[in-house]
Amino acid sequence: MRRTVLVGAVAALIAASVSGCHANNKSAGPAQAKAKAGGELDVLSPSPTINLDPAKSQNLATSTIHLVLRSLTTWQESATEAPTVVPDLATDTGRVSNGGKTWTYTLKPGLKYADGSPIVAADIKYGLERSFAAQLSGGLAYHKSLLVGGDSYQGPFDGKQLDSIQTPDDRTIVFQLNKSSGDWPWIASMPAFAPVPKKDENIQHYGDNPMASGPYQVSSLKQGSTLVLKRNPHWDRGTDPVRTAQPDTIVYTMGLDPTVINQRLIADQGKDRNAVSSADVPAALLPKVLGDPSVAQRLATSPSGALSYLAINVTRPPLNNLLVRQALEYAVNKKAVQVAAGGAKIGGELASTLITPGIPGYQSYDRYPADPTGDVAKAKSLLSQAGHASGLSLTLLTQNDSISLSEAQAVQSGLTAAGINVRLKPEDSDSFYADAGASKGNFDLALLGWLPDYPSATGNIEPLFDSSQIGNGNFNCSHYSNPAVDKLIAQASAETDQATAQALWGQADRMIMADAPVVPLLYARNAFLRGSAVANFFAPPYPPYADMLVVGLAG
Amino acid sequence: MTGYLLRRIGGVLVVMLLVTAVAYLVFFLLPSDPARLSCGKPCTPDRLAQVRALLGYNHSVPVQYLDYLRGIVLGRSYGSGAASLHCPAPCFGYSFPQGRPVTALIADRFPVTLSIAVGAALLWLVTGVLAGLVCALYRDSWLDRLVTVGALGGVSAPTFLVGLVGILVFGFRFNMLPVNGYVAFTDDPAQWAFHLILPWCTLAFVFAAIYARLTRTQVLEVLSEDYIAMARAKGLSRRRVFVHHALRAGLTPVLTLFALDLGGLLGGAVITEKVFGMQGLGALLIDAVASSDLPVVVGCTVFAGLLIVLANLAVDLLYGYLDPRVTS
Repeated sequence: MRRTVLVGAVAALIAASVSGCHANNKSAGPAQAKAKAGGELDVLSPSPTINLDPAKSQNLATSTIHLVLRSLTTWQESATEAPTVVPDLATDTGRVSNGGKTWTYTLKPGLKYADGSPIVAADIKYGLERSFAAQLSGGLAYHKSLLVGGDSYQGPFDGKQLDSIQTPDDRTIVFQLNKSSGDWPWIASMPAFAPVPKKDENIQHYGDNPMASGPYQVSSLKQGSTLVLKRNPHWDRGTDPVRTAQPDTIVYTMGLDPTVINQRLIADQGKDRNAVSSADVPAALLPKVLGDPSVAQRLATSPSGALSYLAINVTRPPLNNLLVRQALEYAVNKKAVQVAAGGAKIGGELASTLITPGIPGYQSYDRYPADPTGDVAKAKSLLSQAGHASGLSLTLLTQNDSISLSEAQAVQSGLTAAGINVRLKPEDSDSFYADAGASKGNFDLALLGWLPDYPSATGNIEPLFDSSQIGNGNFNCSHYSNPAVDKLIAQASAETDQATAQALWGQADRMIMADAPVVPLLYARNAFLRGSAVANFFAPPYPPYADMLVVGLAG
Repeated sequence: MTGYLLRRIGGVLVVMLLVTAVAYLVFFLLPSDPARLSCGKPCTPDRLAQVRALLGYNHSVPVQYLDYLRGIVLGRSYGSGAASLHCPAPCFGYSFPQGRPVTALIADRFPVTLSIAVGAALLWLVTGVLAGLVCALYRDSWLDRLVTVGALGGVSAPTFLVGLVGILVFGFRFNMLPVNGYVAFTDDPAQWAFHLILPWCTLAFVFAAIYARLTRTQVLEVLSEDYIAMARAKGLSRRRVFVHHALRAGLTPVLTLFALDLGGLLGGAVITEKVFGMQGLGALLIDAVASSDLPVVVGCTVFAGLLIVLANLAVDLLYGYLDPRVTS
C-alpha cells in the first residue's frame, strides 16, 4: 500500500557487487560483500517517529526494528530472487501437524537478552498475548484471527492467558490454529513473535527500550529526533542466519526533509559517507542522480515492488459486463502510465499479473496480450460486441499527489483513444481511502497500489479479491465476488506444502484475471541512495526497501 | 485597571472554550477514523470496537467533549485495571500511535519552537525596525529605495523557497552551515546557535521586510504630525524630537504587531521546522495531520490557540499601560 518513486538505475551494477549473496538459500552464515566490521552507520529517515514496541509494530522483517528484536523466523533476502523463510530464534521454520492446524517450534539453545537473562518460550507467548490488549493494538494482526480463541482474547493484563499458545517447556512452543495455515512460518517472522519477558512493565514506554534479542540494543532514544543503537553483547552470531551486524553503532535520525536527505547523500560529504537514506529519491532529483555516474552507482533500486493497478468496480453498469472490462484491459495505455511514473528503470516494469515478482510463486503471463501502448482496435471491437460501440463515460478516483495525478491522466488519455471518456476525481489520501473502501462504491475506476505484508501470494490475492474483503474500509475495491475464487483462496491459504500452495495461487491469479476485475499497470520500483563508505546496501524485489539486516561499512 | 484586567481574562476563558469546541469538531467532520489507525492490520470489526471503546469514541458527541474538557482540568485514564493508560492533567488528548499524552509531546517540542521563534523574532525586530527607521530618516534617498526594494523581495518570497535556497547555498555549496537538525541548548549552546542561524535568517528575512515597511510608514506618519512641528519650532533638537517624541508613538503599533506575530509563531513555524528537520510544534502538527493522528491535531490546535489568545491579552495589557484612555 505504499507507493512512490520511480527510479531506475544501475541496478545491474549493484546486483553484481552483491551477487555473492543471492545463491545461499541454505547457507549457515550471512553472506558477506565488501562490508567490514566496525564503524557507525547513519540512517537518515523522513519518518517523524519510530516504533519499537513489537505489539504495535507493522514493520517488515528487514526493517530497523529487527536489528533489536528477533522473531521465531525471518527472511533470507537477495538482490534478485524472491525471499525464503528461514529460522531465526527457532531451530526450523515450524513442524506442522493436525492437518495444518498445529505448529510446533523449538528455540535454539543458549539464547540470551542484552542483560544476560535467558530467552524462554514463555516470553514468546507473553509477547504474543500482550499484542491482543487494546492498549497495545495497532500492529500486524495476522496471528490474532488464526489462533484459537484469538477473536475474543483481550490480552494478559487482566490475568487471562491465551490457551492456544502452549509452552510445555522452556524451549518448546506450540500454536493451535482454528484452521490450517500454510503461511504460518511467514507469520511467525512478524514483530509480535519477538520475546518479551513477563514482568511489570510500563506498557506505555516499553517501546522506548525493548528487551533486545537481536544484535543491537537501544542506547538512547529521543523520540522524533534520534535513535542510537549499540551492540548487544549477548547476541550469538552463530545462531543468526541472516544478520551481519557489522557496524558497532547505528544512529537513526528521524524527521528530516526527504529532499535534504537525498541532497546530503548526493553531496556525500563528511559523515554522510557513512549514511543511507530511507527516503526514496524524489522525481525532481532523478536527473541529477542518474546523470552523474559516481552518484548513480550509489543508488540501490528494487527490481520490483508494489503492484500499481486500476480497480474496476464490477457492480456498476456497464462495468458489470465482462466484455466491457476486457475492453479496458486492452484499451489502457500502460506505456503512458510507465512514462508518467518515470520510465521503465524509474517507474517499474509493465505488469500483467496479480502476484508480483519477488513473491514466491510468481509466474509471468499475460491474459490480455497487447502492445505496451494498448490495443485500441481490439478494445473497440469488444465494446461494440458489448453493445457500447458509441463509447463510454467513466469516473476515475485517484489520490491528488502529483505522481498519482500524472498516472491517472495517462490512463485517461489512453482510454480516450478507445472512445472511453474518463472524468478524474482526485481526492486527498484520507478521503480517497474512505471512498475506495466504502461499502457502496461511488466510482467506476480507482487508481491504487498494493504491497503484501509478507512474501506470500496470499497477500497479493486475498485482501483484494476475497469477497469477505468488500467494504468496511477493506481493500477489495473492485467489489469482486466469485465463490469459486473464494474457495480456491481458502484452499491455497490452508495448503502447507509451499510448492502446491504456489501452484494454487497461480491458478487463482489466472482465474481472477479471466474475470478482469482490475487492470494491472506496473510493478512499482523504489530507489535509495547510500554514502560512498557503505557496503552491502540493496533493495530486493520484495520487500522493495533496503535490507537493514545486512548493511555495513566498507573497510 | 483591575476591572479591565478581569474583563480581559474572562474574555480569554470564553474564547478558549470556543477554540476547544471548534477544534474538537475535527474528530467528527473528517473522513478518517482515529480508531482505525490504531486497530492493526488486518482490522476486524471486533478489534475496531475494542479500540473505540478504549479511546472513548463509543460515547455520544457531547459526552466525548465533556470528557475532553474534564481531562484538561483533572487528567484522564484510558482503559481500566493494571494496564490503563494515564494522561495527567492538563490532558489535551492521548496519541495512541505514539503512546504518549499530547501534553508530553508538546512539552518536548516546545523548546525547539521557542528557540526558533524567539531568536528569529529578535533578529527581525532589530533589523526590520532599524531598516525602517533609516528609511524614514533618509526618505527618498538611494538607501531608502534600496531597502524598500529589498523589503518587497522579502515580503514576496515564500519561506520554503528562502529556506531551501539558504540550505543549498550556505549548506551544500559553501559548506558553511549545517543543513538540518536541532541541538538542545542544554547539550551544547554553541552548536544550538550554529544550527539555528539558517532558520533564524530564513524567518527573519520574510518578517523583517514587513516590519521595515511598517516602521517606515508609521514613523513618517508621526513625523508629519503637528505636535512634532511644534516641538521643532520650540527649539528642541532634531535628535531629541525624534527619539523622545516620534519614536514612542510610531513604534507602539509595531510592538503590538510584534507580540501577535511572536504569539502565532510560538504555536509552530511549520514550514521552517519541516525544511530544517527540526522537531518543533509545527512539525508535530503537520505530521499528525499526515498520519491522521487526530488527538495530536486537536491538542496542538488548542495549544496554539491558547498562545495566540495569551499574546492578544498581553497586547491588550500593554496598550492599557501605554494608553490610559483605553482602560477607563
